[in-house]
Amino acid sequence: MTGFWSLWTMWKKELRSYFVSPIAYVFSAVYLFVAGLFFYLGVTMTGEASMRVLLGNLAILQIFVLPMLTMRHFAEERRQGTLEMLMTAPIPLWAVVGGKWLASVTLCALILAGTGIFPMVLAYYGDPDWGLMFTSYLGLFLVSCSFCAAGLFSSSLIDDQMAAGLIGAVILLPFWLVGRANALLPDDWAAAIQPLSLLYHLDSFNRGVLDSVDLYYFFAFTGVFLFLTWRSLESRRWR
Amino acid sequence: MIEAIHISKSYGPRPALQDVSFTVERGEVVGFLGPNGAGKSTTMRILTGFLPATAGEARICGFDVFDQPMEVKRRVGYLPESPPLYPEFSVGDYLAFIAELRGFYGMERTRRVGRVMERVGLAGWEQRVLGSLSKGYRQRVGLAQALIHEPEVLILDEPTSGLDPTQVQGMRDLMRDLASTRTVILSTHVLAEVEAICPRAMIIAGGRLRASGTIRELQQQAPGGVWYRLEIAGADPREIGGLPGVTVVEPLGSADGFLQLRVRAASDPREALAQAAAARGWRLRALEERLPSLEEAFLGIVGRES
Repeated sequence: MTGFWSLWTMWKKELRSYFVSPIAYVFSAVYLFVAGLFFYLGVTMTGEASMRVLLGNLAILQIFVLPMLTMRHFAEERRQGTLEMLMTAPIPLWAVVGGKWLASVTLCALILAGTGIFPMVLAYYGDPDWGLMFTSYLGLFLVSCSFCAAGLFSSSLIDDQMAAGLIGAVILLPFWLVGRANALLPDDWAAAIQPLSLLYHLDSFNRGVLDSVDLYYFFAFTGVFLFLTWRSLESRRWR
Repeated sequence: MIEAIHISKSYGPRPALQDVSFTVERGEVVGFLGPNGAGKSTTMRILTGFLPATAGEARICGFDVFDQPMEVKRRVGYLPESPPLYPEFSVGDYLAFIAELRGFYGMERTRRVGRVMERVGLAGWEQRVLGSLSKGYRQRVGLAQALIHEPEVLILDEPTSGLDPTQVQGMRDLMRDLASTRTVILSTHVLAEVEAICPRAMIIAGGRLRASGTIRELQQQAPGGVWYRLEIAGADPREIGGLPGVTVVEPLGSADGFLQLRVRAASDPREALAQAAAARGWRLRALEERLPSLEEAFLGIVGRES
């Protein structure tokens, strides 16, 4: 039970960290600016009252920008010596990892909520498909959860923030690229590895389909990286 | 209260600690002395459960630091070498966070934060941002962080490093005050500090525990430890060398017809010397025990074997 209180404490502390430093503001501003650009281009080019182009592109953008949001987490704690304090406090390590992950996911959710202005614009001028809207947003949110987990993992690997950010993007890139594998590999090979791709699973959300396989994919992706983060922190004590 | 039993630690192939054993009893204040890189911080990190030992075991309040880390962490307050602060946080927010990590919420949290700030001399500093504090105040916040749960055991890694003399004095008073109710291990390379606040000290160098005991015992253990200064006239140094127990007699000089001698002996020879002087008609005008300063003892002990 104490574990859940520490999770709550860590979550509050990480959110405070985001909002007392410029990170949260700069990050949201840049993200929303780029989103606005995609929205404008998407709507004017396709002429559809849909968020398809916007949300698809945001997923790819996140490969590069979400690791910047998470890169500081463990890298910074280690540099300031606060990781030692957290690890000698009577709280389980999973609460530290979980609190950090929840805080970055919360920030992502807030930013996604900020893009809520676009559906309103669409609803004013056209007649968007709300079911599709909901599944696309859910898909993008699950992508954010997965990327935050992978970003935390890269941050646990190395003390240098920039390097952690780059490693985060490098970890995520293959999960994008295998979705384009048919350009390089024979068709049956490509078909075999494409289910590994984030975009492959995101695609059904963007078509308005909620398939449990896709949900499991994102849960597993997040779970595996949070587990690896926990193991990586644990194992660094032994060296 | 604190037991280290044959602890060794290697970082990769490099040994950092080799077979270190000691115990610290409840209510003791023990100074941990050693040159930089001697293994002081490593030992402390093992005691707090931050680092696992490669071999051996450590117990705090009877709990194994490796097998029962939560029990140990609840009972230990730890100040690492550089205070673990979040520079963008205010003093109040930071300590509130620490209090919650220690399981205090709501009113209890507020009460504890207020009390610990009072205690370390931070009252009225709630709003200050940690990143803007001077070294001395950062150290105080670090100490507040270690004290907020009123731990039975305090492990302080160089608590006075980087402080100015007034702050050092304040920190020592605070530690002496804490020592009355707690078990404290503090590391330092300032010898005066140990003399000022620690009745007992351990000297560690090259990853090994070289000596342990009260300050006086350390001075006696040091190579070339205790000697006796003698000013005498009418005596032959060889005769003094022949007295029971006396091992070495060295001339130091002479003044006003008196010979100054350095005498070493297996046990305190002063009484025997005085009796011999009375019996043989020597004129004895000075006979005193000399201990090396803690600094000399430290250098002697650390220099030994290295």
